[in-house]
Amino acid sequence: MKRGIHRIKPAKKDRESLKSLGERLARIFEIPGDVIGSRPKVTAIGRGEVMIENFKGIMDFQDGMIRINTQNGVIKVMGSNLVIREITSEEIIIGGKISNIDYDA
Amino acid sequence: MFLVHLWNYIRGYVILLVTGNSVERFINICSKRQILLWDIVRVTDRSATMKASLRGFRLMRPAAKKSGCRVRIQKRKGLPFAFSRFKKRKGFKVGFFLFITLLTLSTSIIWDIQINGCKPEMIPQVMNVLNMEKIGRGSFKMGLNPKAIASKIRLSVDGIAWVGVEIKGVMLYVNIEDSIDAPPLIKNNQAFDIVAERDGLIVQMEVYAGKALVRKGDTVKKDQVLVTGRLESMYPEFGTRDVHAMGRIIARTWYESSLPVSMEYTQRLRTGKTHQVTYLRFLDGKIRLPGAAPAFDLYEVTTYDKTLTGPFGVSLPIGLTIEKSFEIMERQVPLTFDEALAIAEEKAREELAKRIPPDSRVVDEKVHHYTGENNQTYVQVVVECEEDIAGLRPASIQ
Repeated sequence: MKRGIHRIKPAKKDRESLKSLGERLARIFEIPGDVIGSRPKVTAIGRGEVMIENFKGIMDFQDGMIRINTQNGVIKVMGSNLVIREITSEEIIIGGKISNIDYDA
Repeated sequence: MFLVHLWNYIRGYVILLVTGNSVERFINICSKRQILLWDIVRVTDRSATMKASLRGFRLMRPAAKKSGCRVRIQKRKGLPFAFSRFKKRKGFKVGFFLFITLLTLSTSIIWDIQINGCKPEMIPQVMNVLNMEKIGRGSFKMGLNPKAIASKIRLSVDGIAWVGVEIKGVMLYVNIEDSIDAPPLIKNNQAFDIVAERDGLIVQMEVYAGKALVRKGDTVKKDQVLVTGRLESMYPEFGTRDVHAMGRIIARTWYESSLPVSMEYTQRLRTGKTHQVTYLRFLDGKIRLPGAAPAFDLYEVTTYDKTLTGPFGVSLPIGLTIEKSFEIMERQVPLTFDEALAIAEEKAREELAKRIPPDSRVVDEKVHHYTGENNQTYVQVVVECEEDIAGLRPASIQ
């Protein structure tokens, strides 16, 4: 076996090619990604509250399931007795007993 | 979060029931248009309830049209709605303004005056000054200048070392510090004599300065010089020396009172008929409540106050003053000699008690009766006292 330093080049496919300019800048200057980009930030506090920032809109709203459209796809929040505590153009706060937060739903 | 809710309550909000096939679309449009929604709850598949501000509700129409939803108000909440109920009630408004005016009026006047720290006999004088300045219960606080009042009191009333006037809430406090009178200065080089203040028999003499002209056991008359302040020298060529005579002259004095004995006694009896006049008292004012004046020829009046007591024992300046008059009947009652004598004696004693100075000591008392002119019987009371009869008078210049 040949000795030496091996550099494993990552395959070009795996790279996130869809990165926006803002996100790339954010990475260079080590700024948290949610400040510049429009990627969603999901904050769950306990079991009773989920806050999603940078969302596009709600797709589905039912007692047991809420689907929210974002830049990175649809986030599905499941649980029981779900309510929307507050909704503005920037953020949505979901309350109720939450059991699942799913991406790619 | 609480603050946000409070703010929403103050501004007013509505609870809406949104019905339609796509409630989600309605919510999305609202959020895009900066309409804040909160507490969204799914009711059925086709409806949801939510809360929105009044401004939000007004801007909601296009969103409802676009999404094909029907918006219905379920409930109105918040202060504006709570007040709108009162808008129609005129009496409420009038009452509210009346309440505000009464409250401001009642907190801008003096309700009570307290004078602290001075001798009781000084209080009427202080009250007099306040009355002269037209300050009393019910006067407005606005026009009062505590410093000016204090200096006025200080100047008008004697024997005050310091005055502080304070307005605390609706109370006016006058704090007074008494001054102590300076003792009278005796100038030793001025000639003063001791004279007798009244007739008497000297029982004891203590002369501190001056030359005694009388001795123990002497009878003296009023204004007689007892101790002279002008000392004559044994040798006329040395002249005289003036001193301020001082001393105590204890003498026995007599007070006499004789009164005719009346064999009849006017008895005053209450007939049992009473009449009452009621006044409503507020601050210093009095309002007479309707009612007839008493129609008696002879009557006694007793007045008593009924004061309203507030919480914590605070006496309120509101009350009733009741003047009750009792009709009186006079009746002549014949008396036995002994009874008549006793009554006359009692009267004579009362008359004497007014004349006898308070610092004297009663030693003896004699009562006897005699018949005077017109066959009228008199009773005579003689009281024997011991008292200091020393009085000062500048020595006459010879």
